[in-house]
Amino acid sequence: MVDIRSLVGDEWAEWYLMTPVQRLEETSKLWLTYRELGGSLDPEPDPQSPFYDPDEWRALALDGRAGVRLVRRCGI
Amino acid sequence: MGGQACVLYGAAEFSRDTDIVTVTDADNLGRLQAAVDELRAESIAVPPFERQFLEAGHAVHFRCRLPGVEGMRLDVMAKIRGLPDFETLWNRRTTLEAADTVIDVLALPDLVTAKKTQRDKDWPMIGRLVEAHYAQHAPTVHDAMIDFWLRELRSPPILIDVAQAAPQACRKLTSVRPLLTLAAAGEEESLARALRAEEDAEREADRRYWAPLKRELEQLRRDRRQQVPDPPAE
Repeated sequence: MVDIRSLVGDEWAEWYLMTPVQRLEETSKLWLTYRELGGSLDPEPDPQSPFYDPDEWRALALDGRAGVRLVRRCGI
Repeated sequence: MGGQACVLYGAAEFSRDTDIVTVTDADNLGRLQAAVDELRAESIAVPPFERQFLEAGHAVHFRCRLPGVEGMRLDVMAKIRGLPDFETLWNRRTTLEAADTVIDVLALPDLVTAKKTQRDKDWPMIGRLVEAHYAQHAPTVHDAMIDFWLRELRSPPILIDVAQAAPQACRKLTSVRPLLTLAAAGEEESLARALRAEEDAEREADRRYWAPLKRELEQLRRDRRQQVPDPPAE
């Protein structure tokens, strides 16, 4: 048997070895933190998805904000 | 059937939306409409929430407005490339109980099949889904698990380990997955290349499957834009 920790690292190995109920509890905590930090529920733009339409993606953004947006950059 | 199912199986830590697969008879769609109404969910984007589009293989997209789940995306499908009808999926689903809630999710092999899409992000997910199953069950393995791993593993070291530990099962499956001969021989670099070619072929098959559906979606978008009245002149 392959040592899964050596292959994927401790963090993922720990997640793999939780029960589904434990994972549900942990992901619920992540959900609350994400929402408290103001995380958007809109999907990331995914041009590879067959459902992707750039016009609709912009128009339908719940809060009008992208998850990440460019506010400044150097001249190149 | 989407990210939430991947969380429960161990391949993801978090998902921002909920994807469900449904049966499309009139009674059930009525019940689904009632649930959607209860969530104050609005259909967004195309196509509209109609049986014909679900049965054609489209996804219908909703956003919830009910306080507590406000903003949550809900995507509904009835037909997924490579998967059998709803009744078959339902009969082999996984059921979980947590905090007095019953959660039905696609069976793991079905979820893996559903994830074989043209999108980059789905392929690492498949790898983790099968790896997680291997990590959870390798100590108590039985024949059906070996069969599943040989068909679906995407990690060369684990696939080599399983192929060499179960040579008879491996030989039986080489006709459906020829790259298993490389796994059995322990040829890791060649196996990695063959896995990539296998992925590329599936991604191309998914693009071909979606080509006519994408044309329908584009037509629906054009039709909808034509229906939107022009803003009043100032």
